[in-house]
Amino acid sequence: MTTYPLENLVQTRWQNTFDRLNGGEPGITGLLNISQAWNTAREFLRPRDIREPNSKERNLPVVKTCFDALNEAKLLPRLLETFVEDIRQQESLITAEVSSFMAKYDESEDVTVVKSMLRRLVEWWKAWAPIHELGYTLLSTFNLEFQTHLFSILPSSFPSAFKKLCQSTVGAEPDAQLWGDFERLGLLDRYENLIASVCYEQIEGQVLETCVGRWNEPMLAGLRGWMADKIVPWMILPYARGAKTHEETRSMLQGIGSRFDFHVCKTLCDLRTSEIFDIIVDYPDSNCALLDLKECLQRVDQRSQLVQALRRLNRKRLLHPGADTKDILTQYVLMIRCLRIIDPPGVLLYKVADPVRRYLRERPDTIRSIVASLVGEGGDLVDENEPIQPLQTQFEDYSDPNWEPEAIDAGPEFRTNKPSDVISTLVSIYDSKDLFVKELQVLLAQRLLAIKDGNFEKERQNIEILKLRFGDAALQVCEVMLRDMTDSRRIDQHVQSQKASNLHPTIISKHFWPALQASTLNMPGQFKTIQQTYAKEFTTFKPDKRLRWLPHLGTVELSIELQDRTVEVEVSPLDAAIIELFGSGGKTAWNSQEIIAELGDIDNSSLNKAMMTWIDRGVLFDRGDGTYEVLEIATSAVKAARPPAPKRPAAQPEAPPVVTVQQQEAEQMRVYWKFIEGMLTNLGSLPLDRIQTMLKFAPGYSRTIEQLGTFMEAARREGLVTESGGQYRLNK
Amino acid sequence: MDQLSSSLAPPRTSHKSPAATTPLEGAGSVTKRLGNELMTLMMSSSAGISAFPKSDANLFEWVGTIEGVSGTVYSGLTFKISITFPPNYPYVPPTIKFDTPCYHPNVDLAGNICLDILQDKWSAVYSVHTVLLSLQSLLGEPNNASPLNTDAANLWDSPSEFKTELRKHYRASTENSN
Repeated sequence: MTTYPLENLVQTRWQNTFDRLNGGEPGITGLLNISQAWNTAREFLRPRDIREPNSKERNLPVVKTCFDALNEAKLLPRLLETFVEDIRQQESLITAEVSSFMAKYDESEDVTVVKSMLRRLVEWWKAWAPIHELGYTLLSTFNLEFQTHLFSILPSSFPSAFKKLCQSTVGAEPDAQLWGDFERLGLLDRYENLIASVCYEQIEGQVLETCVGRWNEPMLAGLRGWMADKIVPWMILPYARGAKTHEETRSMLQGIGSRFDFHVCKTLCDLRTSEIFDIIVDYPDSNCALLDLKECLQRVDQRSQLVQALRRLNRKRLLHPGADTKDILTQYVLMIRCLRIIDPPGVLLYKVADPVRRYLRERPDTIRSIVASLVGEGGDLVDENEPIQPLQTQFEDYSDPNWEPEAIDAGPEFRTNKPSDVISTLVSIYDSKDLFVKELQVLLAQRLLAIKDGNFEKERQNIEILKLRFGDAALQVCEVMLRDMTDSRRIDQHVQSQKASNLHPTIISKHFWPALQASTLNMPGQFKTIQQTYAKEFTTFKPDKRLRWLPHLGTVELSIELQDRTVEVEVSPLDAAIIELFGSGGKTAWNSQEIIAELGDIDNSSLNKAMMTWIDRGVLFDRGDGTYEVLEIATSAVKAARPPAPKRPAAQPEAPPVVTVQQQEAEQMRVYWKFIEGMLTNLGSLPLDRIQTMLKFAPGYSRTIEQLGTFMEAARREGLVTESGGQYRLNK
Repeated sequence: MDQLSSSLAPPRTSHKSPAATTPLEGAGSVTKRLGNELMTLMMSSSAGISAFPKSDANLFEWVGTIEGVSGTVYSGLTFKISITFPPNYPYVPPTIKFDTPCYHPNVDLAGNICLDILQDKWSAVYSVHTVLLSLQSLLGEPNNASPLNTDAANLWDSPSEFKTELRKHYRASTENSN
């Protein structure tokens, strides 16, 4: 019973289908027509082996009617499927061709093989492709099927072969057909990256070839010219083939062109980044390279890479014990100049300079080097042309019409330092300029004391220049020092006019001069008398002042009259004192102990040095038993017995007479130790940071916690304190 | 000025003469004076006395250390004291208390001290240094005429018993209190 409706349904369907296929023709003529059309259409579409003679009849109107009939009968999808089936059956033909070509290529590595293979493939494609008139669906289905198959059978060596083929086209005559083939086979879309990479490699090759190590001429413009001459014509085929007018070409190339231009910038930027350290060394000859880099950086966002590279290079090549402080400073100054060119706001500089500055801060002789260059002693850190500017903390000037916001990658601690010059930047390595002023005083003291001809003009000039930087107040002490020098001469002239003396002292105000080396040297004999006479004269002239002699500083011009000759020498006071011992009184032979007893506490090495000076000059001789005697008559025997001593500069004190800043600091640390001792006695044990903060009670304390840590560690080694768990306590 | 205390006054300290300042000059000058006193104290090398501010934030609260002079009953003992400076220092003496229990005729059980220069005999020329010296000598030479601790005053003349009692009261300071 239930089968009836089903039967009815099937019957209705059957009738409908029949009617559709038959197209309302009498009998089954419609069906036969359809069948005829199907066969014609299928035969027309069937892919053939193109090696066989082509017998395809191109009776287009007939085919067209067949297709229309099939379309009416809604059989086209079916036909499409059959077509695809047919293609699949014939695919083996292509597979065989491709593998034979590729095998040939693998053997010869000849790109023309690939080229002819692609040519051949296009022929296959043309032979098989359904004509346009049959509708877009058919063509696209065919394309898809053909390409899918093609890509599935291409061997893994094809991409590299294809790339080589593309490479071979660069610079050659434009081969429009080849690129047309590429497109037809769908290779352009599929291997777009490969084609682009060909271009990238060309660019990289060109950059490496022309730009490495050449920093004295601008490169970017040349590279862009090369792009326009060589690469752009080539690019037209892959990227702007369809363009008909010049305008169209331009607009089609714009996107890809800017990609390649970006790559030019990036490659050059990478290159210059890797060379940046040497570029800086070469500055100002490398100015052009810096300008290139600046332009590239605007296009390519590689600022952080540049910073990292430079920091790494600095660490590797600059900030190690093998580098001279002066070299580091020079390089730092160059770095400042170079990075100012690349990045005027100074963000890059700020980031790169930080480790350098920190490193310089740890070097003991940094300040001295900077100060030395400040007063023009060697080194050309200071650019003469740079206007001298006072050191001041910089505020942002918001009323500046040229004000610009900070760069986007500036850190929170970044402070613009636009107007500051190189010296200000160097001085700002340290938190306060006091250190510089102190070192400056020491240096000035050394230089002033070394001047003998009374010409202080250069020093005065220096001080005046430095005043502009550091301000009058900071250099007041230096002023006093200079005035002491001139005053000394005036006083000396006065004293000489009262009572002529051979002594010409430099009278300095103890309070304003850096600590000078103390000495216990007592000048004997006539020197003492001269000193006393002079001192007396001085006291009459300036009753409220008193002279305290530093007899070991200075020089003495002596003329020693011996029996057979007169020796004229300029020697150090110690030398003079020794020879005076020999000359005065009856004692002719002296040994070291006796000399020391007479002259005060002299260390053995300087005594020996002084004795050697006299022996070298042939005035004294060593009797062999540790005593010395005056050589009244120059005998050749004694001279021959003595090996020729190396010439030494006489009367040159080895150590500078001024106590260095380090020594002063060690002295200060002794004061701070008292404070540390006091706080540990009363407060028990303390961690390092508490000690550091408590030390603010000590006047003038300015050490960092690292310095304090080193100091405490030294104290611990000496057994003064013990340390456990970061807490220091006095060792009792 | 009292004979005893004037002899303790420093002959001429390096710091600013206190007569030049007036009480109205405010905390600034007091801090300066205290800083100077700290410097003087640190640089003086008096054995057995020392003092230092409790924290870096407050210069008016100090901790002091006094060691008993050898030859007295207090020999070998260390006493911690706390020193509090009034805002109008040095016109008013600092308040000083023993933190370590100190069995002494002039020190009560709470640590309060009876010393003339800390009360009516105070003078602005005294400094922490002189006060500490006075306290150190007070340990060995108590003023039994005005005792705060009568038991101790009575025992003073019998040193061995005094010593036993002293040891009983004494507790070495625990140094790691902070």
